Amino acid sequence: MEIDPLLLQFAGSLIIILLLAALARFLKLGGTPALANEEEAARAASEVEDGFEAQRISIDRKGAAALVRDANGRIMVIKRHGNRFAGRVLTDAARAREEVDALIVDPSETRFGAVRLSLTDASYWADAINRL
Amino acid sequence: MPDFSPTQYAIPLFVAAILIEMAWARRRSPEAYEPQDTLTSLAMGLGSTIAGALFGGLSVALAFAIYELRLVDFGDQWWAVWWAWPLAFVLDDLKYYWVHRAGHRIRWMWAAHVNHHSSQHYNLSTALRQTWTGSFTFGILFALPLVLLGFHPIMLGIVGGFNLIYQFWIHTEAIDKMPRWFEAVMNTPSHHRVHHATNPRYLDKNYAGVFIVWDKMFGTFTPERDDERIRYGLVRQLGSFNLLWSVFHEWVGIMTDLWRAPWRHKLSYLLREPGWSHDGSRETSGMIRARWQARQRPIAPAQADEPVARNPIASPKEAA
Repeated sequence: MEIDPLLLQFAGSLIIILLLAALARFLKLGGTPALANEEEAARAASEVEDGFEAQRISIDRKGAAALVRDANGRIMVIKRHGNRFAGRVLTDAARAREEVDALIVDPSETRFGAVRLSLTDASYWADAINRL
Repeated sequence: MPDFSPTQYAIPLFVAAILIEMAWARRRSPEAYEPQDTLTSLAMGLGSTIAGALFGGLSVALAFAIYELRLVDFGDQWWAVWWAWPLAFVLDDLKYYWVHRAGHRIRWMWAAHVNHHSSQHYNLSTALRQTWTGSFTFGILFALPLVLLGFHPIMLGIVGGFNLIYQFWIHTEAIDKMPRWFEAVMNTPSHHRVHHATNPRYLDKNYAGVFIVWDKMFGTFTPERDDERIRYGLVRQLGSFNLLWSVFHEWVGIMTDLWRAPWRHKLSYLLREPGWSHDGSRETSGMIRARWQARQRPIAPAQADEPVARNPIASPKEAA
């Protein structure tokens, strides 16, 4: 049986790609950063949107996410994305709901996804987000 | 007639260089890589070669058609005119500067080029994070003047391949600065880190491919500073490793805007700069930079580009 050289090249490239990604994992590259304190969460917020000055900050118990609010009442949700952080300033389309031990914040952007946070003041944020 | 694709021959070198950089990262900077991000970037690279083969035909046909109208004829053995090769390389790099600049300033072009910038990491795998949709832009138009001048499309394809190979090695944090003379003339890891940065002062700077002199010539050069940590990616980070979303998200955004926008603004959502909106609800890179500059003024009037270290209030390592 003769295999198309282009197909062979594609399969070879795909295998190499998977091996490289596996090697990155094997070498423990990446890591799992956590937001350890309010200063780090505020810095993450200012990186999501340049100049965003967090006034109220709540950090997920494991440091994987945070909710921050600025003086103008704008609320930003921050989540760990790989070994970096990404976030969204929430609009009135955003929704929040409380579960047993978590607050689920849905920025209403499918690809960004809902963010699960374990917070001590979940009710405050749920109310604030749903009133945006 | 030469039948040669330099990028194909360079693939083993690309893989070897990534392995070396991963070994460096393991020892010095494990956070420089993220396995999921690496997988997405490399998959985009593989996909781009397939997309190019599938959809690049029209551009090639157009280039060959224009070549028939060439102003200067290098003859049947155009590949034997030795001096045409370095000349083509330099002029192609000038073309690259402009097509790249358009790729950042015109949303239609950005929709394809954004793929290369959507990683929050900056390593050699990012270099291979290439577009699948370049054939659906008008980038080929930038090459046509060179074809019309008399450079054979194959010659331009080959020098363009070497240009891309050059650009591979500059996607790294493992190299700090090259010798001063080299930094002055050539694009380097330092210059290109600036290009991939989302820090306001760095937005839409350093478009060069091989020679950084084009940026110096056309006013878009900004040097990397040692006192400000660079953030990579997009001003609105994707927040997803989904391959298809990474490839098509800006196209989806354009389509949505074209559908929703009032008729008189529809074309602007295609041809104006990324971030433009008819109601001012979004921000362009210029608006982000202006807002950042305004924040600097109360502290250091008219010296927004001065070193942060001169600012007695701000933390010297503050990311702008």
